Amino acid sequence: MAASVSSSVSPLPSSGWGPLRRAWAVCAKDAAQELRRRIAAASLFFFAATAVTLVSFAVGPFGLPAEARDRVCSALLWIILFFCAATGLPRAFVREEETGTAYALRKVVSSSLTLAGKTLFNYVLFLAITAVTVPAFAILLEWRMGSAGALVVVMVLGGYGLSVVSTFLAALVAKASQKNVLFVVISFPLLLPLLLSAITATIAAAGGEMASTPIRVIVAYDGAATCAAYLLASAAWED
Amino acid sequence: MLATTLEARELSKAFAGPPLFTKLSFRAESGFLAVRGRNGSGKTTLLKILASLAHASSGSVSVRRGDAELAGDERRLAVGWAGPDLAFYEDFTAVENLRFFGRAGGRPAGEAAIAQRLDDVGLSGAFDRRVGAFSTGMKQRLKIAFSLLFDPPILLLDEPMIGLDADGRAIVEKAVGAQRRAGLVVLASNDSRDFLEPDQTIELGDRETADVRR
Amino acid sequence: MKILKFLLLPYMAAVIAGAFLWPAPAQGFIGESSRIVFFHVPCAWTGALAFLVAAGYSIAYLATRNPRHDDVAAAAVRIGLLFAVLALVTGSLFAKVMWGSYWNWDPRESSFLLLIFLYAAYLFLRAAVEDPERRAKMSAAYALFSAVLMPFLFFVAPRITSSLHPQTVINSQGKILMDAPTKAVFFGALIGFTAVFFWMLSLESRSARLERAAAAARR
Repeated sequence: MAASVSSSVSPLPSSGWGPLRRAWAVCAKDAAQELRRRIAAASLFFFAATAVTLVSFAVGPFGLPAEARDRVCSALLWIILFFCAATGLPRAFVREEETGTAYALRKVVSSSLTLAGKTLFNYVLFLAITAVTVPAFAILLEWRMGSAGALVVVMVLGGYGLSVVSTFLAALVAKASQKNVLFVVISFPLLLPLLLSAITATIAAAGGEMASTPIRVIVAYDGAATCAAYLLASAAWED
Repeated sequence: MLATTLEARELSKAFAGPPLFTKLSFRAESGFLAVRGRNGSGKTTLLKILASLAHASSGSVSVRRGDAELAGDERRLAVGWAGPDLAFYEDFTAVENLRFFGRAGGRPAGEAAIAQRLDDVGLSGAFDRRVGAFSTGMKQRLKIAFSLLFDPPILLLDEPMIGLDADGRAIVEKAVGAQRRAGLVVLASNDSRDFLEPDQTIELGDRETADVRR
Repeated sequence: MKILKFLLLPYMAAVIAGAFLWPAPAQGFIGESSRIVFFHVPCAWTGALAFLVAAGYSIAYLATRNPRHDDVAAAAVRIGLLFAVLALVTGSLFAKVMWGSYWNWDPRESSFLLLIFLYAAYLFLRAAVEDPERRAKMSAAYALFSAVLMPFLFFVAPRITSSLHPQTVINSQGKILMDAPTKAVFFGALIGFTAVFFWMLSLESRSARLERAAAAARR
C-alpha cells in the first residue's frame, strides 16, 4: 500500500505570468515559428497577389463605370480578403495537430488562452497582408479612395472580426478531414454579415465618409464573436 | 504540506467498439503506481485521461490537494505528463521549447533553471540544437524534462524508456525514484523491467475490467 | 401520448382542406395566391424554431456529454433544413406569381437562404468528423457559436433593400390583419406544422440513437 501522507514537492512560486502574458507567449511563439518558415505569410501573400492580379487583368483595362466602381471594387476586395483568410489563417491550429505539438500545448495552457494568442497572431498577419494588398488593389484598379482614414478603420475593425471567427473555426476543423473546403463552408454563413457591413463601410470610405451604422455593426459583431469564441474555445479544441 | 491525491472513479473508455476498460477505480497519493498491459490495452489512453488530455466515456478523475479539488491551471501544473504522442516544436531548440512551455504555463523559468533541467536529463550538450535534429533518445530525454517542468506532485510517464541508452535509463530511474519519494509517479509500460517495486499496480487487459492490485 | 400522433394526421388534413376551402382569398393578392400564407409562414417558423431547438440541445450536450442530446440537435438541424428549403421554395413560387420573378433580394428571403447555408454547413461539419464524441462536441461548439452570431445574420445582412414581404403577420402596427376564418386556419396551420416538426424530430432522433447503438455493436 502506498506510504502514508508524505510531503509533496515545494509549493509553486507565487510569481507567475497572468493570462494576458500567457496568451502573448503563444502569440510570440507562433510569430517566431512564422519568422523561421514564413509559410503562412507566403501563402497569404501569393494568394492575394494572384487574386489581385487576376482581377486587375480582367477588369482594369476595360475600366468600371464610375457609378459602379466603388461597389464592385469594395465587394471584390473583401471577397479576396475572405479567401485570403481562409487560405492562411487556419494553419495556426492545423499545424499544431499535424506536428503533434497539440498535446504539449494543451497540457500547459487552456484552450481559451491558446485561442486568444493565436487570434492575435492571425490578426497581425492579416493586417500585414491587408497593408500590402489594399494599396496594390487600389492602384491596379485605379480606384480612388475618398477617405483613407475611414478605410483604415474599416480594415482594422473588420479584419479583427474576420480573424476571430477564422481562428475559432480553425480550432474546430483542425482535427477534421477536408479542412480547406470545410473551413470555407462553415465560415461563409457566419462571416457574411461582417463582410456585408465591411463592404458597405468600404464603399462609404471610398466616397469619403465614415459610415457609422455598418461600423457600429462591425464593432458589435467583433465583441460578440470574441466573447463566444473565448467561452467555446475548449469545446472547439479539446479531446 | 498537503499531499496531492489522484483518484479515478469508475472510468470507462470506448472508442467505436468494445471498451478498453470499464469501471476502473483507484486512488493514489504517493509512491509508484504501475500500469501494465499489452499493446493496445489502453495504457496510453488511460494516462491521457488522467492528464486531462482525453475524455473518458464515463466516470471521473479528480486531483485533490488536501480536500480541495484542483481544476484548470492548478490542475494542469500539478500533473506532469510524457508519452509517445508528445512532440516538440522542431524549429526551436530544446531551450526555446522549454522556455515557451514555461511561459505558456504561467510559470516562466529563468535561463539557469532551464539549463539545469536540461543538464539533469543529460541534454546540456545539445543546448543550441534544433529539436528537429535530435535523435529519438534525445527527444525522449526532452520529454522527461518537459514532464518535470513545473515540479509536479503527480507525474505520469507513458513508456518513458523508449529509445534510451543505459545512461538515459539511469536518468529516468533516478527521476522516478525522486518523484516517488516526493509525490506520486504513474508509469505505464510494456516492459516489466521498468517497474521498480511498485506500490500499486493496474493491470489492463483484453478483459473488460481492470485489476487493481496492491 | 401515442394517440396524439394519430390525431395529427386528420388534423393536418383538415388544415390543408381548410386552407383551400374556407377563408376567401385576401385582398391585394393575385388570384388564390394568398393561400400560401398557410404553408409558407409555418414552414419558415419551424425552420427557424429548429435552430433554437438545436442550440438548446447543444448546450445540454456540452453540459452533460449525453450523446442523446447530440442526436436531437443534429436531427433538429436536418428537419430544420427541410422546412427552411420548403419555406424558400413556397416563397419563391409566391414571388413569381405576385411580382413575376422567383428571387428579389427581399431581406427575409435572403436571410432564409443564409439559414439554409448554415444548416448545410453544420451537416457538412458533422460529415467530416469520424469519431462520434468529437463530432458531437464540435457540432455543439459550432451551433452555439452560430447562435451568438445569428442576430447579425438575420437582422443585419438582409437590411440592404426594402422588404417586399406582405405585412399581414409581422408588421409595424403589431396587429394581425386577417379576417376570422383566415386567422383560424393560419394559427391552426402554425400549430399543426409545429406538431409535425416535433413528431419528425422524435422519429429522427430515435433513429439516430438506434444508428449509434448499431454502429457500436457492429464494430
